[in-house]
Amino acid sequence: MEGNVFIFGKSTRDSRVGELARYVGLVFQDFEAQLFSTNVALEVAFGPENFCVPPDEIGLRIRESLAKVGLQGFEERRPATLSGGQKQRLAIASVLAIQPRVLCMDEPTTDLDPIGKEGVFKIARSLEQEEDVTLIVIEHETEEALNADRIVLMRDGQVVADYPAKEMLRKVDLMEECGVMPLQVPQFFSVMGVPEMELPLTPEEGVQEFRRRGYRVDEGAYTKLVEEEKSRMESNHEVIIEVRNLSHMYPGGVLALEDVNLNVHKGEFLAILGQNGSGKTTLVKHFNGLLYPTSGSVRVNGEETRKLGIRTLGQHIGYVFQNPDHQIFSDKVYDEVAFGLRLRHTPESEIKQRVADALKAVDLEGYEDADPFSLTKGERQRVAVASILAGNPEVLILDEPTTGLDYSQQRSMMELVKRLNKSGSTIIVVTHSMWLVAEYADRVVVMKDGRVYLSGTVREVFSREEELRDAALKPPQIVSMSNLLGYTVRSVEELVHVTKENI
Amino acid sequence: MDPYYLYIDRDSIFHRLDPRTKMLLLLITFVLVFISLNPIYLLAILLLVLLAGYVAGVLINLRRIRFVLFMITLVTIVLWSLFQQGTTPLFWIVERESVVYAVSVAIRIDTMVIAGLIFLSITRNEDIAMALVRIGIPYRFAFVVSTALRLVPTIASTTTTITQAQRSRGLDLDTGGPIQRIKNYIPLLIPVFISTIRSTNIFSMALESKGFGAMPSRTYYLQLKMVGRDFVVIFTALGLLVFIILVRILGYL
Repeated sequence: MEGNVFIFGKSTRDSRVGELARYVGLVFQDFEAQLFSTNVALEVAFGPENFCVPPDEIGLRIRESLAKVGLQGFEERRPATLSGGQKQRLAIASVLAIQPRVLCMDEPTTDLDPIGKEGVFKIARSLEQEEDVTLIVIEHETEEALNADRIVLMRDGQVVADYPAKEMLRKVDLMEECGVMPLQVPQFFSVMGVPEMELPLTPEEGVQEFRRRGYRVDEGAYTKLVEEEKSRMESNHEVIIEVRNLSHMYPGGVLALEDVNLNVHKGEFLAILGQNGSGKTTLVKHFNGLLYPTSGSVRVNGEETRKLGIRTLGQHIGYVFQNPDHQIFSDKVYDEVAFGLRLRHTPESEIKQRVADALKAVDLEGYEDADPFSLTKGERQRVAVASILAGNPEVLILDEPTTGLDYSQQRSMMELVKRLNKSGSTIIVVTHSMWLVAEYADRVVVMKDGRVYLSGTVREVFSREEELRDAALKPPQIVSMSNLLGYTVRSVEELVHVTKENI
Repeated sequence: MDPYYLYIDRDSIFHRLDPRTKMLLLLITFVLVFISLNPIYLLAILLLVLLAGYVAGVLINLRRIRFVLFMITLVTIVLWSLFQQGTTPLFWIVERESVVYAVSVAIRIDTMVIAGLIFLSITRNEDIAMALVRIGIPYRFAFVVSTALRLVPTIASTTTTITQAQRSRGLDLDTGGPIQRIKNYIPLLIPVFISTIRSTNIFSMALESKGFGAMPSRTYYLQLKMVGRDFVVIFTALGLLVFIILVRILGYL
């Protein structure tokens, strides 16, 4: 509203967005909405066309841009058939073809699995080194920021700090204050009392520092952690969902699931991990009857889902979809939460009580009359959860519950889920957020190409980094560091807990 | 992958035609079915259209609109059989002539729908836009047309997700009286509407950031060129059209 922005000395007030696009390229978080062409080559051609680049040169630029993002040979592919990571790389290529001097990416990897993220940041690095392009990346995930030269930290519309990346990443407390997840390795050493200047940043550096300072892992404390976990797992033994030899084929012949076997136990917190397209969402859609097996069986409380049907199943299994905007339609939070109950002809007095309870559970008391559309994304996500909770389901399925939320919103969302789990709900979370699984889940199932690839306690599964990598997954920093030490911890707190300082 | 996308990437003689030729063929088909209401003649045109679809290898798309085709056929035949006047009583208030008329109208509409479907199955959005630009329509308008075509599959797949989300919450579309049934759709329509608006916002930002409309003119990577086969096809089609018009004028149709 006030002040000026200058781009290469030219005020943005004097130029139109379209003209600026020649200098500053923008890539958005939502890669679905920014791709619109029939094939990859035409997608890349669109930008240069707008700037009157001759057709022969456009052909050249298509080849160049696709090579830069590693999509050679995809020219004729339809963007919709690409994986998430490939789509985002295509979005980058389509902007690069305009040959901007500055490339601005707004949370380019939020919706990507860890390996997809790495791919995008690899491109970013090579662009920065080989081309004369300035990169500006807007992120709230710090692990990606390791690659930057410089980090600007913002809070409430103001620049709080502006330092070289390595310096900023050591300011653990400041980042946490601003609601940004600090890098876990420096966070650990910071808690251990290591001065800011000496904080290591990567797992490898962390291990060196760990040994140099003469720290060691206390075997007794570690064994106790593992034992506690085991006994908690064993207390959840009653099977609530039983999946046997499940295969699912979509119309058109795509085999999305193949011979899946799995038990979900009452009271547990199960995470289903896997890269985009690994079949994890298809799998959980079988639990509430949105999909039925092509072969094999899915039983809930001993009964075939096909026999129960989605209406009956809906009372036992609540399913919160990824995007709250795909379900919110009322103009009052109260009506939105009451929707499912009214459909089941619950008396209004009971509805009132249940809505109040559900809103309390998600920390939205007093929001009954608010308009859901005016709430933040995090709050809308909570409304969506409340609307499912109101039905008192035994099992709560959450599909990517933290996508599009910032770190503090993610934390409070997961704390909420944890509370629900503690009060008896069985939780199934579908996600590719690794730290979330590490810190919150009991058990994890890793899907790959429609099959169960790994399954076990979080500790067991996260100790197998090689295999996770094959499934396009990468454990969080602190887990990687502890794996290098020969143990597997799930969080910074755990590592602090089991670390002994030798004098 | 996404079941609402019509274009099928094949390498048939029809795919290789210039999009302007394809458009002209579509137009000629529309004219042809309006020349006469002779059921045998209309059936012949329909078979011709289906043959073209078969050669192009895109008839599989018919499966997606089979319900639409079935409904069109059913409704047209029933309504016109009842309302069209005839002279030879067949049964109840239906006459023989009205049934023939009804069947003909049904074939006419089905043929147009199928021809349109085949056109969309063999022509990419960008080619349609390009063809429109080449016949003198402003680029912005052509772009609107191709964007509209692109939005259909997007909205359809969003609708599928939203339907699943609401069914999970217990929504059953098939309960209640007629008014209730219409009301049942509100929980679907509002989220579809809102999500579409939200994604359109991002879409427009993406367009601007790629310089859409930055300059008064633009270049085109796709270069359309009419070649020998286009002219052969156009002349054959026009020849057929002229021939049929003559037959019609001479009173044989």
